[in-house]
Amino acid sequence: MFEATLAFQALINGASVALVYILVALGLTLIFSIMGIINFAHGEFYMLGGFAAYYLAQVAGMNYIAMLAVTFLAVCAFGFCLERLLFEPLRAQPLSGFIASLGLLLVLQAGVSILFGVTDKRVDSPFPGILHGYGLVISRERLFVMMASAVLIALLYCFLRWSKQGLALRAAAQEWEAAAVLGINVNRISGLAFGMGCALAAAAGALLAPVFYVTPTMGAQPLVKAFIIVIIGGMGSLPGAVAGGAFLGLLESIGPMFFSPATVDLLGFGAIVVLLLVRPTGLVKS
Amino acid sequence: MHAFILIAALLCATTWTAAAANETLKIGVIGPMSGPAAQWGVEIARGAEMKAEEINAAGGLKIGNATYDIRTIPYDHKANAAEATTVANRLVFQDKVSYIVGNSIGATTTAAQTITEPNKVLFLFVSWGKQSLGPQYPYSFRETFSDVEVVEPFYRWLKEQKKINTVALLDVNDQSGKTTGASMVEAAKALELKILADEYFDRALTDFYPLFNRILAMKPDYVDLGSVPPGTAGLLLKQLHEMGYAGTKGWVSGAILEGAIKIAGPEAADGLLAPWSANLEGANTPPAVKEIVAKYQKKYGEPAGNYVVDNYVALDIVTQAMKAAGTTDTEKVVGHLAGKKFDSAWGPVVVGGKGTYGVDHQFLRPITITQYQNGKMVDVGSAMPRDLMAK
Amino acid sequence: MTWTGQARSIVAFLLLTFAASVVPVVTHDLYKVDVATTILQDLILAMSLRVVMNLGLLNLAHTSLMGIGAYVSAALAMRLGMSFWLTLPIAAGAAALMALALGMLTLRLHGPYFFLLTFAVMSMIQLFFHSYLEEIFGGATGLIGVPRPNPLGFGSFTLPLVSKVSLYYLILAFWIAAAAVLIRLEYSRLGLQCAAVKQSEAVARSVGIHTIRCKLLVLSLSGFLAGVAGVFFAHSRGVINSSDFGIDPMLKLLVYVVVGGVSNFWGPVVGTIGFSVLSEYLRSFHFLETLMYGAVLIAVMRLFPEGITGACERIFAAARPGSVPSHVTAGA
Repeated sequence: MFEATLAFQALINGASVALVYILVALGLTLIFSIMGIINFAHGEFYMLGGFAAYYLAQVAGMNYIAMLAVTFLAVCAFGFCLERLLFEPLRAQPLSGFIASLGLLLVLQAGVSILFGVTDKRVDSPFPGILHGYGLVISRERLFVMMASAVLIALLYCFLRWSKQGLALRAAAQEWEAAAVLGINVNRISGLAFGMGCALAAAAGALLAPVFYVTPTMGAQPLVKAFIIVIIGGMGSLPGAVAGGAFLGLLESIGPMFFSPATVDLLGFGAIVVLLLVRPTGLVKS
Repeated sequence: MHAFILIAALLCATTWTAAAANETLKIGVIGPMSGPAAQWGVEIARGAEMKAEEINAAGGLKIGNATYDIRTIPYDHKANAAEATTVANRLVFQDKVSYIVGNSIGATTTAAQTITEPNKVLFLFVSWGKQSLGPQYPYSFRETFSDVEVVEPFYRWLKEQKKINTVALLDVNDQSGKTTGASMVEAAKALELKILADEYFDRALTDFYPLFNRILAMKPDYVDLGSVPPGTAGLLLKQLHEMGYAGTKGWVSGAILEGAIKIAGPEAADGLLAPWSANLEGANTPPAVKEIVAKYQKKYGEPAGNYVVDNYVALDIVTQAMKAAGTTDTEKVVGHLAGKKFDSAWGPVVVGGKGTYGVDHQFLRPITITQYQNGKMVDVGSAMPRDLMAK
Repeated sequence: MTWTGQARSIVAFLLLTFAASVVPVVTHDLYKVDVATTILQDLILAMSLRVVMNLGLLNLAHTSLMGIGAYVSAALAMRLGMSFWLTLPIAAGAAALMALALGMLTLRLHGPYFFLLTFAVMSMIQLFFHSYLEEIFGGATGLIGVPRPNPLGFGSFTLPLVSKVSLYYLILAFWIAAAAVLIRLEYSRLGLQCAAVKQSEAVARSVGIHTIRCKLLVLSLSGFLAGVAGVFFAHSRGVINSSDFGIDPMLKLLVYVVVGGVSNFWGPVVGTIGFSVLSEYLRSFHFLETLMYGAVLIAVMRLFPEGITGACERIFAAARPGSVPSHVTAGA
């Protein structure tokens, strides 16, 4: 009974944070599926979302849900512009695109540090308090984060499955030139893909801001986690991102029960190596 | 014609003032000024800068027959050892400093020492780690408490006052964390406290639920946050609270307490014990310290942490030693630092530590143990570092 | 008379060697000598990385190979008291072996998966040195007090290798050897084969080129050179830490190579020297340093997507209509 409680608590722990990392990974893999580039600055959009949460919700007192919507749209637009101006011209040289995204990471991080300072900032959660039941605990804010992430993932699924833009995105991901021949404005689609990918990361950052804290370097860890998730799940595969996220969430919550944190990390990377050797395309065939 | 005279007069005036102008004494400052530990580096740099400005405003530093304006030169080593070597090189060989006042993060101190020691550069730092001081480093000094000075007296106090028997020790998996962890384990063993957990985690970790899931099941009396940075401490406190921990909690290295408390929230932080950090706004806080804190708030718009005062005092003490030596030659100044007693904003400070390090290069003063109670930091006890008890 | 690519490269190499030799004579600023030492060390790393990338393999574990060289040599010297001149080949050999092992893994993977694999391997190696075998490798603290290289002795004449200037000439000697080997490789039959593999692996195989042997040889060589750089790094600085061999220095190297230009032999040289000088210049901006570095990266990549040397090649090719681009004449 005692062990079961621990195990369930571990699962709840894993789920609450894994769902958010799935959001970030979905953004990363969406960008990769359409444009074939690895956006190294992806974590910085997560960070921008956190700062948006701080300045709009905490400082200016905006309603939390409204803040999420505003952040999503604003970062989407920002990402769209970045793609058109910076990444589209570099599409023929993915390595150069990667270096450019590295430059973008430095500019965003340093810029935010200079403008807003390096002190860690707190964002109050709109749902304070802790829930108890059956010997398990979960904070209300984490519960909200879980639900909001699930909603966002569902919305993304609907968008891709049924909306006109979503169909166009999937067509472009499948076969770029064919999509262009069919009259799809591939330029606008790639901009939209990038914008949406960044917006997903920003939404994740805004959601987790009250759970942790806001600081210019907060995007580094989510980027690594998203990367790992995408590798495990398969680059460019959206269902793969969900599967990969589930795997990582489980590993991170159950792992520390038995191993030291260093060993957990080592196991995680070891799993990637094995997976790449055995099934490079990832857990889910895209 | 008039213009000519005017220009000549101006020229004379400037050369006259130039002749009477002070020489410049360059003081290097290194630290992590970007990245996760940036708060520490920024506070260290600002603390030195504030003291330098004060000295200059009062006419400069008078040593022997010369007067010096102090100029601080800060460099960011980004918490990276290789970068620390580079900026130390730059300070020593290009900027030609003989003093570096302020650094944090043990690995960077070790890296910088490979440059400062052979070149007789007086190097003061806040970073922890017993290996950083000793007879093999004649020019290195630590300007504030490290784990060695604080942990053992604090744990003794804990055992007596709070009746602690079992402990869970946490820390970051890096050089500072590992050395602090070693001190905590050593002190716990010496006092026969049962160590239920001795865990190290990645510096960037933010979700501690899995870790606590395992540790709290063992029901420790006391959880120590070791030498984690303020943001991490805030999260640890918050998540401990969410998981229902009701025992004693302490943060041995607790610096920038307000930062951690802000993130944890007053409820989660309540009861936190901090032996390292001196209360900057308490009833027993020296007025000189309160003055520094007020000035910092006014100048930078943020509350000051301990590192500000520590580095301010460090520069103060070094300049006092220079005056006593009558020169800026580091070989002589060292002799007027080691083993001596100084007056400072903290009160009396003794540069001792021979029993622990083999040399008197550790700044020592009484330890005040503070606790966060009902929204305020309260002094709840005091202790003496072992090397100070002998004096 | 048209100069072949190889002749041009040899001339450039000789010029650089001469210029580098007189640096400590021209400047008496020891800090600049220190910067130049780091540049030469990074050149070895960047040039060896580029040779692998030119095969189409993005090896993110390159700094890990450097780390293996550094840790093995330092550990052998500190724990067993071995001489630098013995630990150097052993440690570089160990790095080459690891590179070979990585190469054998690539037999299974194509395209973007190699770089993901090397990313995971890099992380594992860094974790390993940071958290395991602490008695040998120092754990989180790393190794402190790695000895300077043992003095070079010829009969009764000994040359101590302690001062900054002596270490500078040591790394210069290493660089000269490395560059000579790499130039020889570039214009040899193996080099031609590698160029073919890069163009199209399928076609290369169809004309009988052992693509796998190509990759393995080049990877091992690049690993060996990275190991040499790592050994120098450890013994010249005296302290090493696992964070010295992680993703940050790897990204720095990538910047040097990609911005300089991957296809051109001198790309990494341009990139390394250019960005090292830029970094020094930017340091005086203190808090704005990182921001400006990032801005420069964005600007340069946007303006010269094929790297600086790539852009130069294009300009020169356009300026001489009817001439054949250099990468086609390479080895002719």
